[in-house]
Amino acid sequence: MSDFPDPDEEYELMYSDELELMKENEDKTDSNPVKQKSLPAKRSLDFSSHISKNKDLQEKLESNTKDNDINLTPSLQNMEEVLAQTNVPSKRTAEDLFGDIDDIDFDNLELPSKRQKTDEENDFDLINKILEGRRLKQLLTEPASGGNMKTKVNFDVKENISINIPKWPFMPLTNSDGDRIYIRLESEDYWNKSLEMDSEQLSLRSTYSSAWEEAQKILEKKEQKSLKEDDTPMIDIGEHNTSLWVEKYRPSSYIDLLSEEPVNRALLHWLHLWDKVVFKKEVKTKDPQQRTTFSKRAGQFQLTNKWKGKKESEPEIDDDGRPHHKVALLCGPPGVGKTTLAHLLARLAGYRPVELNASDDRSTEAFRSALVSATSMRSVMDVDRRPNCLILDEIDGAPTQTVELLVKWCTTTVAEGAKKKSKTQPLRRPVIAICNDLYATSLRPLRPVALTVTVGSVSAARLASRLAVVASYERLRVETKVLSALATRAGGDIRTALHVLNFLRAKTKLTIKDIENVAIGTKDTSKSIMQALQAVFTLDDSNTEAFHRIIQAAGEYDRLVDGIFENYITARVDTRLHIASETMSWLGYYDIVQAWTMRCQNYSLYGTLPLCIARCHRLLATRTYHKLKFPMQAQEMYRKKVELDSILVSVWRGSGPHVVNNRNALKLDVIPLLPYLLTPTLRSANIQMYRKKVELDSILVSVWRGSGPHVVNNRNALKLDVIPLLPYLLTPTLRSANIQTARVKPRKIDENIKKMEEKLVNVTEKESRLPNHLQRLKPKSIEKRIPQYSVATRRHGKRRHGKRRHANNSVYK
Amino acid sequence: MSLWVDKYRPKDLMKLDYHKDQATRLKNLVQQSDFPHLLVYGPSGAGKKTRIMCLLRELYGSGAERLRQETMHFTTPSNKKIEIMTVSSNYHIEVNPTDVGIHDRVVIMDLVKNVAQTHQIDSSGQREFKVVILNEVDDLTKDAQHALRRTMEKYVATCRLILIANSISRVIPAIRSRCLTIRVPAPTENEIVTVLHSVCKKEGLSLPTELAMRIAKAADRNLRRALLMCEACKVQKYPFTPDQKVPEPDWQQYIRETASMILTEQSPKKLGEVRQKLYELIIHGIPPDMIFSGLLCELVRNCDISMKCQIASYAAEYEHRMRLGNKPIFHLEAFVAKSMAIYKKYVEESLGDAF
Repeated sequence: MSDFPDPDEEYELMYSDELELMKENEDKTDSNPVKQKSLPAKRSLDFSSHISKNKDLQEKLESNTKDNDINLTPSLQNMEEVLAQTNVPSKRTAEDLFGDIDDIDFDNLELPSKRQKTDEENDFDLINKILEGRRLKQLLTEPASGGNMKTKVNFDVKENISINIPKWPFMPLTNSDGDRIYIRLESEDYWNKSLEMDSEQLSLRSTYSSAWEEAQKILEKKEQKSLKEDDTPMIDIGEHNTSLWVEKYRPSSYIDLLSEEPVNRALLHWLHLWDKVVFKKEVKTKDPQQRTTFSKRAGQFQLTNKWKGKKESEPEIDDDGRPHHKVALLCGPPGVGKTTLAHLLARLAGYRPVELNASDDRSTEAFRSALVSATSMRSVMDVDRRPNCLILDEIDGAPTQTVELLVKWCTTTVAEGAKKKSKTQPLRRPVIAICNDLYATSLRPLRPVALTVTVGSVSAARLASRLAVVASYERLRVETKVLSALATRAGGDIRTALHVLNFLRAKTKLTIKDIENVAIGTKDTSKSIMQALQAVFTLDDSNTEAFHRIIQAAGEYDRLVDGIFENYITARVDTRLHIASETMSWLGYYDIVQAWTMRCQNYSLYGTLPLCIARCHRLLATRTYHKLKFPMQAQEMYRKKVELDSILVSVWRGSGPHVVNNRNALKLDVIPLLPYLLTPTLRSANIQMYRKKVELDSILVSVWRGSGPHVVNNRNALKLDVIPLLPYLLTPTLRSANIQTARVKPRKIDENIKKMEEKLVNVTEKESRLPNHLQRLKPKSIEKRIPQYSVATRRHGKRRHGKRRHANNSVYK
Repeated sequence: MSLWVDKYRPKDLMKLDYHKDQATRLKNLVQQSDFPHLLVYGPSGAGKKTRIMCLLRELYGSGAERLRQETMHFTTPSNKKIEIMTVSSNYHIEVNPTDVGIHDRVVIMDLVKNVAQTHQIDSSGQREFKVVILNEVDDLTKDAQHALRRTMEKYVATCRLILIANSISRVIPAIRSRCLTIRVPAPTENEIVTVLHSVCKKEGLSLPTELAMRIAKAADRNLRRALLMCEACKVQKYPFTPDQKVPEPDWQQYIRETASMILTEQSPKKLGEVRQKLYELIIHGIPPDMIFSGLLCELVRNCDISMKCQIASYAAEYEHRMRLGNKPIFHLEAFVAKSMAIYKKYVEESLGDAF
């Protein structure tokens, strides 16, 4: 039908549906003469008429056989006979009409034909009725007719759906494989007719209700029979069907995806950014409103329209028209559908996904060849119209060299692209890398160049609803409660949830008990340190076992103990401090065991560590909720200690070889007393005076109190020394430090001196960046004098030049 | 100009101010041809290093005083680069292996071997051996100490070791038996007073004996500290007055404050405040055992005799635990909590008796 060479397509298209309808309904009569006329293509006309003739014969045969068959209902048969009689005249009239208008022109005939149609409507309806009745009969009598029907439907499908662009009116659609198909658009007339037909059927049913009911019964019986027959093979199929549910219910369209919408969109958007390079079409955003809604994602979802100004498109697309990020890095916990997402979106964007995963050889050479073959454009384009999209699954397990190669691949093209545009650009295809651990060491080079898309674990509610869908497909009867329990248990892992459901389907009825008792499907769900800490401090009588499980799941005992240490004081009312001392003794015991374990590398006592925590739990747990602090203090203190230690070490190193001291002596004796030694009672001077450079050295004395009170002795040297420092002395921090040291607080002394020292370092570091005209003031002759002892100022003696040495000198004058 | 501590350090064994008989014995030791490995131990500020430097001078003459600082580089088996500062003359090298933490074994192995395998260039009229001075031997890891024992025997022809420690309890017996152990006790308060007087005389200052005595007491028999305090006194206020304020290291004051906090109030809240103070002390590098002893001294001073026993025994227990463990703050706090509990109990009982 679709191959009509006729120029008057419109008419055919309009009536082709009806023609088909005719084919289904009519026997031998072509009650619509106009249509017969209107089809100049002999083949199709012949075809339809042929069928109708065949049908006629068939039906005659059938009626014969029916007579011989068991009479279902005498009334129906009578009717049939009556109909058969009426059939003949109607056909005749049709033929008469046919003959009459044989030579009439098509265009002129359109209107009269319709009128004629209305004239003959009664007859036509009758014929239809008869046909319906017969068909029903046929259905009832011989099951083979069902097959007949089917073929007809198939025929229809062929007629209505086409892969090539058809001649009839169509609606283009793209199926999940990316193939484009065209579906015939139906005219309104057709719909009206089909509706009429329905009503006719209804009327028929009402007139011959008894017969209809009987037929229904028989039908039902047959259906049940067939169902019973069907049931067994269905199950067989189910058992033979080896595909896992995970495969079976893998999302096949965008809306099926369980991952978060922004995530999906982020990746899809990135894939579309490649369109310019791959498909040679302008990248444009189809829905700017939606794009802007996702602008929170690092501003990458700003409008990328070319028409909306180039500025916005710049960060996303580089000079070659490729996206800024050449690689998308999908990361997330296992079982959340990263691979599925990548495949599906690549297909949706019109690519052919090529996967390279851990099972493949991922040596550098193999990887290079895979990369080349997957991303080289032309050869693949010729074979398959769809370009490749390389998906590197489980990339965190790949060797570092491989990842480096990938990164090189991406980055070199940027440089090359700048040089010789559009000629040799190796990476012209999107590459999606998938990993579980974003911070794996091997991925370190990839992270900066890749667009990182984090696929979070699916929320329990969404997972539960998907499980419900799967269950309904599989005809499992599961309560929603059970499903949500299963979903929670899976902890966002779709794969696990489906596996468990699959495993449990053998049972007729699933209960929550089943879910809880099933040994499989529990992942070692890691508890966060805060959850564990909360468990330590809350009393839970119902489940004592759970506490141990939580502690062991949390794992980091050290952190946990730190957390207990930082929170135990407020945990309970403890006026006599018995609980505190008891807790502390347990923590002390923990520390001893832990230290011993670490020192001897003998883990035989490691198992007792959680017991210490459990003891603390017994001591500290209450029913009231406590707001717990995250254990930070220990680390903070450690950091500070390291900081202060390093200052001390540099002071120590700065001291001359003649000063025989070890670090402890320096720390405990010299430095604490040094401020007293270095701070004689002096009047502090005014900053304003200092600006005027009047009495410069007295101010300097007060400023440099920490480093040298005896500076006054060498006034000239001081001036030379300090003038380059002037701009920095005005900084408020230094001034405040100055004031602090002026009032000698015994408590703060060694902190202050360390602060001063740090500032000295800062100042001296800045010093080196001073303009030359200031630096030239430094006298070289003084350099020779090496101080014997200089705690405060020789910290960075090597970096400092003559001028600081000079100051040192004056310190101990 | 340098501090008095460095300025008036005796350079000759015979000029030492105290432990003179020990000095003569050391001098005799040098006269003899065989000079053993030495393990010099004693509290901080007793004069260990001074004696060693005198000894070196006795051995090699004034050439041993020409010191230079060098930084040496080593590579651990795990390919980690470490550097350590050494002080050396032509005749000896001094190093503090604990500076590099757990990698001290590498330092000992490499450095001692390096030094030991090079002979003196000009052995005529010189000693045939060089001296390696290792500081803080008691803080060496067990690995390093074991590495030391074989080296000590193997290179005995070319090299002598002088080990310095505060206490030999943490030096393994194998090393102790290979060395001649020399204990340098802390000077008595009277000895400190005489030293202070002599120093002040050299400076041309007049020091009242009362002040000298007070300084000696406050210095806790640590001569270095006493000298520093004396100099600080001079800087703060001169001429000296007998009732002058003697500055003392701030951490001592701090520990005292902490102890008084424990005694004023016994409550979990106070415990939290004490913890902050303890943390502060620890991060400033005050050794936890000194914190322990400081706290104990202060606590014991202010409580009943029966409590003294209890608190002291608990202090011993927790201090021992602290040495075994890694986290001093736990044990310090455990001690604080325990002593608070004891004190609280005592106070409540005495109050109960009163009513």
